[in-house]
Amino acid sequence: MASTRDIRRRIKSVKNTRQITKAMELVAASKMKKAQQAALAGRPYIQVMSEMLAALSSRVTELKHPFLDERVVKTRGILLVTSDKGLCGPLNANLFKVVTEIKTPAKFFAIGRKGAQFLARTHRDLVADFVVQDRTPFSEVKVAVELMVQKYLAGEIDTVEVIYPRFRNTLVQEATLRPVLPLTSLSTFISQAQSDAGIDVQRDTRDMIFEPSATEVMEALIPFYINKHIYQLVLSARASEHSARMVAMKTAKDNANKLVGELSLEYNKARQAAITQEILEIAAAQFAA
Amino acid sequence: MPLILEIVTPEARVYSDTVDSVVVPTLTGEIGILPGHIPLLTQVVSGELRLMKDGKENILVVGKGFAQIESDKVSILAEHAINEEKIDEKAVEQALNRAQTELTASAHLDPAEQELLHELVRFAGIQLELKRRKH
Repeated sequence: MASTRDIRRRIKSVKNTRQITKAMELVAASKMKKAQQAALAGRPYIQVMSEMLAALSSRVTELKHPFLDERVVKTRGILLVTSDKGLCGPLNANLFKVVTEIKTPAKFFAIGRKGAQFLARTHRDLVADFVVQDRTPFSEVKVAVELMVQKYLAGEIDTVEVIYPRFRNTLVQEATLRPVLPLTSLSTFISQAQSDAGIDVQRDTRDMIFEPSATEVMEALIPFYINKHIYQLVLSARASEHSARMVAMKTAKDNANKLVGELSLEYNKARQAAITQEILEIAAAQFAA
Repeated sequence: MPLILEIVTPEARVYSDTVDSVVVPTLTGEIGILPGHIPLLTQVVSGELRLMKDGKENILVVGKGFAQIESDKVSILAEHAINEEKIDEKAVEQALNRAQTELTASAHLDPAEQELLHELVRFAGIQLELKRRKH
């Protein structure tokens, strides 16, 4: 049986850990609130924008734009969005599982230090990694998107896809692979999403007018859409990260509480046993005398 | 059948309601939209968006973006949008000053950032102009 001093030391160390995880939980909770708000507020915007783009691409078939062309996929371009720091439960590990399932040749881009480390460790083709601050400024995400678009246009990669933890709610984050470019599948994707959500869309069959012209609207809308869309995915990833971290830290804190309880019980038992032992010894000594 | 008007910005859904008619500032000038309008996709420029609902006029200031009209549904996608009643003149003036000092102080900003600030200045300018005209 462990001595009372050993148990006391363990209790102290568990309590210290509990204090740290508790503090981290509180920090994550406050960050989570902001990140979730940002992620949820941006959703309708992206939705409306994808609807516009779908209307545009389904009506104007004769228009040529490199983003609308479907080409033979030789090398996929994949952006992996992870957290910079660990201690957020299975969040990053789930993303890495999605990455390992990719067997076709692919070039990787990373946002978040954990993802970059993983890609380097597993000897995958990591083209560039980007640091995006916690408050997620648009300009920092844009740099990553622009590089990917540039490689896409140069033909070095044939798709642009994003692997990120999709934020469902505080408890559920799904590791998701989301194709962004080319946009060919966009209209099917949107009608799918709309029927899933139970929205009945009345299609206007009349010809659509584009002002100033279809080409100009498209030239303005498409790059804008790509940027905003990927930015939204990063925001969602941030909300997931803080949620996952808060939940992980809460579990750690609860476990520490349980452990302290168990150890205290053990400590009290050991102390009691020692006292009983002592009394016995004194009594025995008196009898002997 | 009334029109459905929906205005969304990256921060929030600013307006979502039925209206009788709406006037939208676009790249090719202001366009008035009534029910039964032909499908249209156009670029919105920063300016005043006027809507009529139950005989009352309501003005919103919108930033640049896109507008789509389809099946009597008008969707406006804008960088910023604010209802006239919610414009706080002091806050707008401060924002305007901040944006302008930032513009003059840092000439080495990348073009996209500069464009963003210019857009902010335009947006603030329109809000102030509208407020002053009303008083």
